[in-house]
Amino acid sequence: MNEVLLLLWPKAKSIGNQFKHRRTSDLIKPLVMITLAVLFWILIFTIFAKVLVYFKSIEILGEILVVKLLAVVFLTFFLMLTVSNIITSLSTYFLSEDTRLILSVPVSTQKVYLSKFIITLGHSSWMVLLFGIPVFMAYGAVYGASITYYLWLACILLVFLLIPGGIGVMISMSLVNLLPAKRAKGTLVVLFVLLLAALYLFFRFLQPEKLVNPEKFSELLDYLAMLRLPTSPFLPSHWATRSLFPLLKDRFDDSMFYFLLLLSTGFMSVLAGSWICRLFYFRGWSRSYESRAAKKKRLSVLEGLFDFVMRPFHGSTKAMVIKDVKVFLRDTRQWSQLILLFALVVVYLFNFKALPLNKIPGISFYLENVISFLNVGLAAFVLSAVAVRFIYPAISLEGVSFWIMMSSPVELRRLIWSKFWTSLIPLLLLAEALIIFSNTFLHVTQFMMVISTVTIFLITIGIVSMGIGIGAIYPRFRVEDVAQIHSGFGGLIYMIICVTFIGLVILLEAWPTYVIFMARLDNYSLSLFQWIEVVFCFCLTVFIILTAIFLPIKIGLKRLSQIEM
Amino acid sequence: MIQLIELTKSFGQLVAVDHVNLHVEKGEIFGFLGPNGAGKTTTIKMLTGLLKPTSGRALIDGYDVVSHPMEAKRVIGFIPDQPFIYEKLTGVEFLKFIGSLFGMKKEDIQWRMSDLLDLFELDGWGEELIESYSHGMKQRLVMSAALLHNPKVIIVDEPMVGLDPKGINLVKSVFKQKSREGVSIFLSTHTLEIAQELCHRLGIVNRGKLIAMGTLSELMTALEEETGQTGTIESLFLTLTGKSFDE
Repeated sequence: MNEVLLLLWPKAKSIGNQFKHRRTSDLIKPLVMITLAVLFWILIFTIFAKVLVYFKSIEILGEILVVKLLAVVFLTFFLMLTVSNIITSLSTYFLSEDTRLILSVPVSTQKVYLSKFIITLGHSSWMVLLFGIPVFMAYGAVYGASITYYLWLACILLVFLLIPGGIGVMISMSLVNLLPAKRAKGTLVVLFVLLLAALYLFFRFLQPEKLVNPEKFSELLDYLAMLRLPTSPFLPSHWATRSLFPLLKDRFDDSMFYFLLLLSTGFMSVLAGSWICRLFYFRGWSRSYESRAAKKKRLSVLEGLFDFVMRPFHGSTKAMVIKDVKVFLRDTRQWSQLILLFALVVVYLFNFKALPLNKIPGISFYLENVISFLNVGLAAFVLSAVAVRFIYPAISLEGVSFWIMMSSPVELRRLIWSKFWTSLIPLLLLAEALIIFSNTFLHVTQFMMVISTVTIFLITIGIVSMGIGIGAIYPRFRVEDVAQIHSGFGGLIYMIICVTFIGLVILLEAWPTYVIFMARLDNYSLSLFQWIEVVFCFCLTVFIILTAIFLPIKIGLKRLSQIEM
Repeated sequence: MIQLIELTKSFGQLVAVDHVNLHVEKGEIFGFLGPNGAGKTTTIKMLTGLLKPTSGRALIDGYDVVSHPMEAKRVIGFIPDQPFIYEKLTGVEFLKFIGSLFGMKKEDIQWRMSDLLDLFELDGWGEELIESYSHGMKQRLVMSAALLHNPKVIIVDEPMVGLDPKGINLVKSVFKQKSREGVSIFLSTHTLEIAQELCHRLGIVNRGKLIAMGTLSELMTALEEETGQTGTIESLFLTLTGKSFDE
């Protein structure tokens, strides 16, 4: 055991040193992050508490729904944790930088397995645990559970985590003997994102809003009650549910039996992982370094197309755009996020199709146009969520290769603008598609259609510009995972500024749009004073948008040119 | 071709490069020697625009790297010690990209590229993704990229790291050939044999200061006069840098 602890020591020490050598000014970032995490906790807690209170109030079926929901939560965790453990274990066992050193020292494979298992478990589980805790706390609060519930919950979670951990490691050990580690990881990331997208679409298409519609209520409840998968007696999620639920009512029932099932399976999966590791680890490790990576994907057609389209641009700008597109398409970690984006867009448009506006007599026309206006804000928010993942990291994605740009005779201005244009075109297409389709579903007036398409056009340019600019202000060239770029402090600042910008534009446009819309609807002309107000608001909006376009790029460029590598 | 005038770089209290003055002639191979942490890489980074000098100037082909960075960078071919390059591009794509950054014509890139891939024995690997290259292959690809635009000045940081004996031999002959063609080479290394074999003149740097400069025989003579002993380049290096440590 001493050797396992010794292997974990550098990791623990590194984390400790990070805190030890932190300056007071460095405290702002974690404080902001903690505040946001707490707010997110409160939000999840409130939502779940409200849903549970509502479920509890339903006679007969209420309790079944509460149990089903708990089972769904555990099942979702189980699936997420399994996939997450597979991906993480590929990194910790095969791709992390310390593995080469660890395997060269006289420590047994079993010890390496155990130390890496603990690291894998820590890496892949903390996020799910963090967001799971408010859910379980909501259960405890709604049922007025005693301290025994929380203690039992801690025990259950601890052993529950071992199972997907063990399964994940076993799968990755076997996979690496079939595919090289890097390719296996890429494939799995895509599968994981597909799973997330499918889950998201599945829950949305269940149309949970029907719960508030008495006509459809019984139909949905019947469906939920019939949902058999989460209650399969062979799944650890079922055992966790059955073990935890009685404690909410201060009873034990079969809790111990199911806990022991979890415990024995947990230890068994760790043990089985250790056997598989003994058989496959070294073979897989060698294989991951023997095999050559996949041949390049043929992108000559694309290159030809870009070559033609970008004929008017400077040669170096064209080269940078083509390079960025190729790298994006070949990097699974980047393009796989498009799957989630696709799911997001489908659900977004589905929401408009499903809006029951025609059921509200008299005010439908007015409401449809108001919603169309609010839709601009909502779409812009969706776009900024997309931008924080794809556009904000654009500069950071140059990574450690940024020295090439710095030492070549290309002005950084050209680099920044090439990133801007590469990002703008696809985001503009997405923005306009979102607005035009949703407005078509809403049957809005031509005036509203024009206002929304023009507004989203300008807002999108602002979002892209701020993404590139703020990305240049907070570049992170040395990250192991792309996700670390947008989930950092800069990404947070970008989102806050984006939301403020969108809010300002929508607020400033709301009044003049309303005045003009009502004048057209009631067929009267605007007074001179109203015209002045309208022009003033629109001018101010244009000023804010222009500031959002040029200021971040200017500051970003200045910051980037001060960077020393 | 290269001129450093009172070049200084400080990181807070630490003076990494301390008022360094030197010049490198056309076609000359200048060896910049020094122990780890002496300020070699910092000097090179200032020459290539990766770092800004705290004070002093660095001129490349007459252009100040701070006030005229584009003109200076256009004539430099830079080979860093670590070949960090775009892993998701192929070798050919990477060279095309670099050629375009240097404003080369497509046809010129094409023929220079095939020559260089051939020269650095990467001709069978051009269509493979760089992520599948070994460290040495990446290093040779970076060298091809640095020579692609026919630079007047080559700046190299630890050129032989990661290269096998065959690769080292190849690089040495390429540098000698380039020197004969009139290209100036500024080479930082702590491999004394390479410095001895390749360099026309040497500069020895320690703790940021240029403590000795001249041809190897000039430096040896100076050492002999000072200590009364004859020796090798190694003893020269150790005496000079060791002395500074003692001080």
